[in-house]
Parts: sequence; structure tokens; C-alpha cells
Amino acid sequence: MTASLGLLRKLSLAGALVAASCAHTPAAPGTAPTSPQPPRGSSPAAEARPRTVATQTYSAQQAQAGEPLFAAHCGFCHGRDAMGGETGPDLTRSALVAEDVRGDKIGPVVHNGRPEKGMPPLNLSTGDVAAIVAFLHAQKTKAESNQGSRRSVEEGDLQTGDAEAGRRYFEGPGGCSKCHAPSGDLAGVADRLKGLELLQRMLYPSPRSGAGSPATATVTLKSGEIVKGRLAYRDEFTIAVRDGSGTYRSWPASEVTFTVDNPLDAHAAQLAKYTDEDVHNVLAYLQTLHK
Amino acid sequence: MCTRQLVPLATGLVAALGAFAFVLQPVAQSRQGVDAEMLQQPPAESWPTYHGDYTGRRHSPLTEITPANVHQLTLAWAFQTGQAQPIKASPIFANGIVYLTMPDNAWAVDARTGRQVWKYSYPVNTGFHIGHRGAAVYKDFVYLTTPDAHLVALDAKDGKVRWNVVIADAKKGYWSSNAPLLVRNHLLVGVSGDFDNLPGMLKSIDPETGSTQWTFYSTPPPGTPGSPSGGATGGQMWMTGTYDPQLNLVYVGTGNPTPVLNGPVRPGDNPWTCSIVALDADTGTLAWGFQVSPHDTHDWDASEVPVLVDGAFEGTPRKLLLQASRNGYYFVLDRTTGKALLTTPFAAVNWASGIDKDGRPTPNPAKEPARDGRLVAPNESGGTNYRSPSFDPATGLLIVSAHDGYGTYFFKPEHGAYGWAGADHNVWGKGVLRAIEYQTGKIRWEHELGGEGAAGVLTTASGLTVTGDAAVNVLALRTSDGKTLWHSAIGRVGNGPIAYTLDGRQYIVVGGGGALYAFALPRGPS
Repeated sequence: MTASLGLLRKLSLAGALVAASCAHTPAAPGTAPTSPQPPRGSSPAAEARPRTVATQTYSAQQAQAGEPLFAAHCGFCHGRDAMGGETGPDLTRSALVAEDVRGDKIGPVVHNGRPEKGMPPLNLSTGDVAAIVAFLHAQKTKAESNQGSRRSVEEGDLQTGDAEAGRRYFEGPGGCSKCHAPSGDLAGVADRLKGLELLQRMLYPSPRSGAGSPATATVTLKSGEIVKGRLAYRDEFTIAVRDGSGTYRSWPASEVTFTVDNPLDAHAAQLAKYTDEDVHNVLAYLQTLHK
Repeated sequence: MCTRQLVPLATGLVAALGAFAFVLQPVAQSRQGVDAEMLQQPPAESWPTYHGDYTGRRHSPLTEITPANVHQLTLAWAFQTGQAQPIKASPIFANGIVYLTMPDNAWAVDARTGRQVWKYSYPVNTGFHIGHRGAAVYKDFVYLTTPDAHLVALDAKDGKVRWNVVIADAKKGYWSSNAPLLVRNHLLVGVSGDFDNLPGMLKSIDPETGSTQWTFYSTPPPGTPGSPSGGATGGQMWMTGTYDPQLNLVYVGTGNPTPVLNGPVRPGDNPWTCSIVALDADTGTLAWGFQVSPHDTHDWDASEVPVLVDGAFEGTPRKLLLQASRNGYYFVLDRTTGKALLTTPFAAVNWASGIDKDGRPTPNPAKEPARDGRLVAPNESGGTNYRSPSFDPATGLLIVSAHDGYGTYFFKPEHGAYGWAGADHNVWGKGVLRAIEYQTGKIRWEHELGGEGAAGVLTTASGLTVTGDAAVNVLALRTSDGKTLWHSAIGRVGNGPIAYTLDGRQYIVVGGGGALYAFALPRGPS
């Protein structure tokens, strides 16, 4: 497999998470949801695709014309089949694609991009965008008819752990209870997350799309001023935070002193310590934490 | 003659050679050009192939830019591709021109100014546009592989198509991102494709006519009786190999077997997938093969650059081959025989139960993909990937864009036996630049890259290492200890930077995002 495909798999999960979080967006009270809710908490890859809101028909020629355009302009991120690529989500699981009617949602995204998510604006003609829209709807239909996807992981596959052993690990060698409590932040986690999604987020709860890093930083300036906030950026040369007022502030790393506290570091450090048995035991334990 | 094989001994000598090269350069450009003879010993000031030369060391003999003056480095020119995607290719420099590629696109850019000389766009197609590694140049040809697995020969003067041949059938699932390798009168072209169960193949093409000279199959071609690979397909050779002219052997890394995660359906070691193979350059005959991952079930292609080094090993001068492989292990082989001399991890690994008598890691069956999932290091991105390492002869360091990562791997019979045939998901990972002592595999220093992501690596004879971090910076480090000496926030760096000299001035050229940047030392007003 190519290198970049290496990344493709992992990022298609990220893509699925993006799609899933879109699908979970609650409808405003009193209005009908624009897309049916997928089964709550099912794993992203196994999650039902949001259903297309309005039946649309496109000629086979339109979709065919869109295929090479999609491959050339979108495939490097979303995969040539639109089912997720190196840096872009699976569009056949996208809520936005599901809600699109003849390009009314897709068109603006193509033209304007999503700079905050790294998607560049694409300067394509109206005809080309229409062909891409037709291709996307055709791919979505195709994906929906392709049941039993070869990459699915079902909740039932993961039930090999011992919940009691998991509890002991959680409270003991796993060190989980240093930050988490079954009656606190994890109360009802078994209702919120299930299957593969629970497993993946148990191992490393990557920030949800748009959520930013959970890390905080304390920066001491030469003046003696201390700025605390959410870590906004960090490389060898620059550190930036969003301070208490939400303002973005950055400094040369060499001009200040700072500490960074990332609660996810403990998750990363645990990966080298888990046995597969531990993993499944802790998962079994988390699955008992209902409301 | 100043060539890449020559290691400058003293600054005075370097200065003299620099002046000499300056005088000779117009001759080299106009008369010699890039041909089979020139590629045997490329001039120091050139970068005429994907790796720079046949060794894959990605080491420039140039010394104008040094650890002492690199902080003065300034932008000489920038070239905007105007494409939305990032540059993943290594540019090449020949005849005063920088050649750059992206899927469906090739550019010729004036190496003095960054001005576009020509651009070629391949017709719209449905192939896989995942990325592109680079072009190849030979005489007055420029070669481009395409997302639908064609090879296009362009006229180096104007980018017009001279011929276009099919390398593999894109309808079956092949594509190509490969930077071809010219050896003697052979242009070696590899393909990709493991969403489908396809034989792994490398083709030798006549560089003048486009006709096929030979095909090497890493897994059996259709119709082969029996199954020497244990039923596996795959083993694609999508990265550019290296070449030893004395042995006339081409060294290529092969990709993972297919079906990818379904191991039970393809019992045994599945040769020659996840292997380093040595092929006779003229016939494509296998001289030897060494499997770095027997019976791979984790997508760990052994495609990474097989770096050729002539150096001491345990006190004896030897012809060596070094590979930091995607499976997280560093290998030293005798490249004449293919025998392993050293196998040791350079990144987080938990999948092997030991090293066998032949120097191959032994896969632990408990870490094969399973119905309930297995937590495995490395993850699918690997302990390293396509981003080229660099070997610095002065320090004996192989500097590798390493990656410590974990992923979950799943397989159940319901996943079937076609293509991916399983599921795997990244959990966490981070990029770290590691300097490996080539004889021992010990890590002399490491340099955190600040998260997920990394770039290819260039070293220069002046003791500089140039690469990119996980954020937006191109970095110049001191090769001896990894200390940062200079940086510029040009955007995410993709594959390895290159170095060349033009008009007596050394340039370092590197892709950042969708643009190419040339850095050089400042010149006074003129």
C-alpha cells in the first residue's frame, strides 16, 4: 500500500468521526431533524450513513463526468471513491452531502473551501461542480447498497473482556482513576459511546473536530506577567494560547518560560503498557458504566 | 572532477573544488546532460534523480552553506504551483532547470529564478491522485508516471508529449506515483494498488521508445502454477530503488501482501512481499531477496529507501545496504549476498516475538489482526514511511524520519479475502527525527518534531541536516547532535529537500505546502 494510504486508513476514521459528529448535531427544538439520528454511540465505521433528504436523479453521464473531476480535484484528500482519504473525510457518510440538494450545500463548500479544516477553495466552473455533485450522490447511493462493508467492526466483536478485571486495572496499574471517575466524568459513558468508538476513545480520546487541544499552558513573560490559557499552537520556536478572554496570543518560545499540561499525555504513555487483555478488560468495565 | 562519490577532506580543497566546478559547469550542462554515464557519478552541483544519486543516501557534497553560516539563509525564489494539494515529490535539478511533479502535473522551473519554463498537465482521469514522488530526466526526456498507471515521456525543452505508454491496468486497481529510476538503458517504473488483489510488478522500459524490456513480479503473475507466495498477491514496488553499478544490481523495497489484513488465507511468509529484492538491472532476474516482515498483516510495506553505503562493519570494509523499515526495525544487509548483519528496532514496536536466525523479526501471532482487535505498534503509518532518510558519511549516521505510533487491528472471516480485508484504526502517534549509528543501530540523538508528521531528510558534507517538523517549519540542524540552527515557516514540508549549485551559489530547495522554496546565502547588491 502506498505511504499516504498508510495515513488514509487512520484519517478515514477521523473523517468518519467528523461525519458522525455532524450527524449528531441536535435539531433545534420543535423542528424535525434534517437527518435521521444514527443509532447512538455506534462505532463510526459501523455507523449508519445519514440518509439523503431529497431524492435526486442525475444522468449516468453527469455522474461519469464528475468522476475524473472528483479524482483530480478532491481525490487527494477524500479518496478517489469519495469514501475518505489521506486528509479528508468519507463524503458518503457526510451529513452535508446527505442534506445537499443539487449542490446547494456542496457547491458553496467547494467554492469557498473550509480553511479552518485545511480544505482549500476550488476554482471550478458551475458545470464541473454540478458533475461532482452528481458523482457524490451516485457514490453515496453506491456505498449504501454495499452492505457489510469489509472494514466494519461490530460492538459484538469486542466483548472478550472481564469487567471486574477491568475495574481493578482502572483503579490500579492503569492509573485511569487518577483523572477519571465512574460516577463523575465517566457516568453513563456506556450510554454515550459504544463499540469501536468507545474503544478508540478509551485508548486515546483525540479532540473532536473543531474542539482544539485539551492542553493548557502557563506562560511567564519577561515582564513577570503570567498568562494561562488553552494551548493554541506550539512548535520549537513559538508558543500560543487563547487566554481567559478567548484572545489569541503568541510569543517566541525563547523569550518566555512556559509549562504545558496535556491531560492526553497519560493516554499516550499508557499505550506501551497495556496488554491486549487489559484493553479488553477496561473496555468491558466501561461498558458497565450506565446512568 | 567534483563528484558525489568524493568526500571533501579539507576546507581549502573544498574551495578549490568549488571554483573548479564553477568553471566546468556550463560544459556539464550543455554537453554532458543527464545520461547513463553521468548518472554513475553525478557532478556535486547536480541533483539529477529522485535520490540525487544511485546510493539513496540523499547526501549532497556541497559545502558553501555550513552550520556556521546557515542562520543567514535567505529566500532566493519561490514557485507557486497553484495547486490545492501539498508537494509530496522530491524535485530534481538538471540542465539549469528544476523539475517538479504532482499527480497529473509536471513543471520545469528556471533554477535561477523560480520562473516557470513550461507546465504539462495530463488529461483528466479517474486514477488515484494520492500523491506523486517525482520525475526522471534522461537526455532530452522528462518522464512522469500518472494516477492511471501510464508513463508519459515529455520533451525536456517544452513539455510536449513524445510518447505515452500503459504500465499497468488502472481498471484493475493499479495506479502510479513513482519517480522512475534510470539505470543504463533501462527506465524502471513501479506501480501501486492494494485495494485489490494484484500481482506486484516492476517494469523496465526502454527510455527512448517506451517499449517494455522486462517485468519483475514480486508475487506471481496471473496463470502461474502453484503459489510460491503462499497465495498472496501485492508486494508493489511504488518507491524508487537504488543501484550498485559494480554489481549491476538494482535494490527495491516491496510493499505489503494482499489481502492486507487477512493473514490466514495466505499462509507462510508470502515472499517477496515486504522485502528488499536485488535484481539484475539488465534482465530483472532476482539475485536475492530478504524479507523484513515475513507474513505481514499490518500494511508495513518495505518500500523505504534501501540506502547503499560502502563502509566498515565490525572492522571489515563491506558493501552494505541500510533500511529503516516501516515495521519499526533497522536492517543492515550485505548487499552482495543479501545476508542480514544487524536487525534492531528504531521506533516503538510490539509485534515481534524475536529475531530469527536469518535476521528477520518473527511475527507474534497474538499481534495479528483479530476479531476483538489488537493494539499494535507501529500503526499503519509505520515506524517510518516514504519520506527519504539521509546518510551522512562523516558521522556514520542514518537520519530517519521516525514515528512512534499505536493502532488497533481487526480481522474476522466476514471481512473476506479481497483488498483490505480487515480494519485498522490509528490510536496515537508522533514524529521524531532519529540519528541511527549505522554499524550498531544505536540512536545517537533524536529531535522531537512536535506531533504527527515529518518530512524527508537531506544531509550535506558541511555537517547540515535539512528536514521539516510536524508544524510548518523547514529546519536546518547540526548533523553531529541534532541541534536546530535555522528554520523558516514555509508550510508543511513533504518529501526530502535537495541541494544544487548554480552560478557558484548553493541552493537548498524544499516544498512547503503547495509551493517550492529555494534558499541560499545572501548576495551583496549588484
